[in-house]
Amino acid sequence: MSAAVESRTATRRAGEASSGLSASGRAVRIGLLYLILTVMALVFMVPYILTVFAAFKPISHIFSEPAWIPPHSLFLSNFRYDFVSGNFLRYLGNTALVTCVLTAGQVAFSIMGAYAFARLSFPGRDKIFWLYLMTLMVPNAVTIIPLYAMMREAHLLNTYWAIFLPYVLGAPYTIFLMRQFFRNIPQEVIDAARVDGCSEWRILARIVVPLSKPVIVTATLIAFVFGWNNFLWPLIVTNSPSHYVLTIGLANFQSNMNSQWNYSLAASVITLLPLAIIFGVFQRHIIRSISITQIR
Amino acid sequence: MGAPVTRLEAPAALTGRSPAGKRRKQGGLIGETSGSHVGKSGFRAFLGALPFITPSFIGVAVFLVIPVIVLFVISFLNWNLLSPATLAGFTNYLNIFRFDDAAHSLGRTFYYVLLNIPLQTVVALALAVMLNSKRRGMGIYRILYVAPYLSTPVATAVIWYWVFDPKLGAVNALLSNIGITGPQWLSSPAWAMPVVAFVNIWQYVGYNMLFFLAGLQAIPKALYEAAEIDGAGPIRQFFRISLPLLNSTMLFVLVTGVIGSFQVFDTLYVLTQGGPGNSTEVLNLKIYQVAFTDFRLGEAAAMSVLLFGVILIFSIGQFLFFRNRTTYEYSA
Repeated sequence: MSAAVESRTATRRAGEASSGLSASGRAVRIGLLYLILTVMALVFMVPYILTVFAAFKPISHIFSEPAWIPPHSLFLSNFRYDFVSGNFLRYLGNTALVTCVLTAGQVAFSIMGAYAFARLSFPGRDKIFWLYLMTLMVPNAVTIIPLYAMMREAHLLNTYWAIFLPYVLGAPYTIFLMRQFFRNIPQEVIDAARVDGCSEWRILARIVVPLSKPVIVTATLIAFVFGWNNFLWPLIVTNSPSHYVLTIGLANFQSNMNSQWNYSLAASVITLLPLAIIFGVFQRHIIRSISITQIR
Repeated sequence: MGAPVTRLEAPAALTGRSPAGKRRKQGGLIGETSGSHVGKSGFRAFLGALPFITPSFIGVAVFLVIPVIVLFVISFLNWNLLSPATLAGFTNYLNIFRFDDAAHSLGRTFYYVLLNIPLQTVVALALAVMLNSKRRGMGIYRILYVAPYLSTPVATAVIWYWVFDPKLGAVNALLSNIGITGPQWLSSPAWAMPVVAFVNIWQYVGYNMLFFLAGLQAIPKALYEAAEIDGAGPIRQFFRISLPLLNSTMLFVLVTGVIGSFQVFDTLYVLTQGGPGNSTEVLNLKIYQVAFTDFRLGEAAAMSVLLFGVILIFSIGQFLFFRNRTTYEYSA
């Protein structure tokens, strides 16, 4: 093992020597690498930083000084205005409610479906699974109009139900991911539980779920971020502030309060902050989650 | 305490190898079927499975399969939500081209995809190559690059609207500092679409970078070592080893990127509403306007069918490509 590593570094060195890279040349190259990466990181982060600055400034400062000047004091009126007069407390609550219901349902029902496809054998199983897979080709944008018509017929427009119902019963893609994961749990573990007389529900809850934490965390994050960020669907099915979610409130704010950037930027911060907290807490999971989902 | 080291699972589908040598025999997306024995016990097995699949089955049937059928039905109707719908035959499909200029919207959609995808892919690949090393801090850069992907598109669009504001925005303020009068950006028919594309590139580039990074990390190091011995420099190594072996990652990134770009809505809704004029009126935005500001559901459904058809060409291609590959496997 270590011999292999040594010989590898030896070949590396030989390779570097042969391609004529001196130590100082390498240092320059690494310095350049970090420089480019840092500049790119700035491009990615600057909009957020400027927004946080602006959110804590009175409108007069936003108009009078360049965006990159930090706020002079912790000016909180913009947030107070958004929450109280702008109804954002309501929107925040609506968003949290709808997103949590959507996430809990989607994850739970996906786990159940995935378990059946991965671990139970019943007639028609593979045909039904194919149907699920085929629906992966149905783009979101295309179902909007028929779903609207259906919700209208069901008299569910402008209800919380309308916002989460299409997504709460499980997502084919999540089921697909979970099924792959559940299949890799050793059969002996499950057989042992069956011999002990465990019901399938118990096996799922006590064995499969605890062994599948990574994929369940992934599914939870996907559902949550999707629910939180969703815009087009709630835009269509809600028409009163009592049921608006943050994205709708923010878009309306933007078009109604033309250049009152202090309010709309503070509202952006309100919308993004919960995601930023989740991102901070789960950053490792998130990177891994995205790489898990890449066969989309 | 170094930087957080986050291991990317190498996707077996993209590499043909499975991590940790835990390869299991799996054919295609379905995998081997453990003989679903239909017989006396078949019905009981079905009853046993029923509670597990019923919720998701209802979800798939009611919210994915039936809507596709309903979409086609609506596309043959005259329907304004107020009076009862009447049969329209194929006229909606003709009218969307004659009166709604669906061809223009389709053209704008392709233009957007063209501005968006090539640049996004090249930048994502370049970032992945730079991050593909064990040096310090790479994990932090990676997280910073991915952050926009998880951010609410409506919120980031509001932010960029402000950043590109001709008078107050940071971009023109910066330009005027070096003596350039910046363009009107989102109020300019020529610049609006490039700005929208830029915002979307900013949003998705880190996401796509992760795929290239996973693909790169799955390439056996021995290949590069052999190339070094043969005297190939880093650039030659990239074009002769990395790029060819990233083929399937590339295809994946391109196809999903194109499919996603055809459906762009949130950023456009906030940034331009299709304007100035109709210079950014892509198909998905047009569908929304025809359906929910003009209340012409039939025409909007016909446009959705058009969009569906275009997207389907790409997704069927992707589906066929990935069908016969081992997919994700997890090394616990």
